[in-house]
Amino acid sequence: MSLVARQIETAGIPTVMIGVVEHALRALPAPRNVLVRFRLGQVFGEPGAQLQQRTILRATLGLLPRASVPGVIVELPYRWRRETYEAEAAR
Amino acid sequence: MGRRWNRFKSAIYTRWHGLTELHARYRGARGATIAQPPLAPLPRPLTACRVGLLTTAGVHHVKQHGFDMVNPDGDASYRVIAGDVRSDELTITHDYYDHRAADRDLNCVFPLERLHELVRAGEVGGVAPRHVGMMGHILGAERRRLVAVTAQEVAALFRDDRVDAVLASPG
Repeated sequence: MSLVARQIETAGIPTVMIGVVEHALRALPAPRNVLVRFRLGQVFGEPGAQLQQRTILRATLGLLPRASVPGVIVELPYRWRRETYEAEAAR
Repeated sequence: MGRRWNRFKSAIYTRWHGLTELHARYRGARGATIAQPPLAPLPRPLTACRVGLLTTAGVHHVKQHGFDMVNPDGDASYRVIAGDVRSDELTITHDYYDHRAADRDLNCVFPLERLHELVRAGEVGGVAPRHVGMMGHILGAERRRLVAVTAQEVAALFRDDRVDAVLASPG
């Protein structure tokens, strides 16, 4: 997938890739990489956990304007099933 | 037997994440190309960006053909997914990870509904008119096709739709 992301980026469109397998991200990074300590098949979170999924999506997209180093890998602080996601009303 | 064995292995290494990492090391040892990736600047704030999704989770419309699960090299083809598709019109063909959770809620791997919510909340400018579904686990000749054909066509698709940024996510 990072090969496709690189091609999209080469066409001038910025990309960000999320992954759960650290070795894969480090072996062949996309232009911008987000590592989350979740499992395959539930990269954005658990079924029905909308707040969790939205939090991961928001954090991943948030790397788009920030990254200045090609191949950067940012690890999200969220832990699988040990995290309390705060309500978004205060945002 | 082949597909059932692949699904059985997937269920095991998806369940225990350490095995997923080991599997990646084993596969990654075989000829990955490591070069500096490019970096294109974000043209405007995220609140004004049209965002497209690229997934290798094997997502496609129920009326589209599934991916080839017989070829041991995988399937480097892609499926175009309409931006306004409903989640219940989509399905997953992919034997190389356990997608039972995503079968219940596609947003686990393809957060299209969550993206629409961020747009409604004003955090993202818009949703791309087309997204792209692919599968991961692409090796050998299919990997060469991925680089030579699929990647070019997918990049052209997002460029033609004037997409400002793409989120790539795995299964």
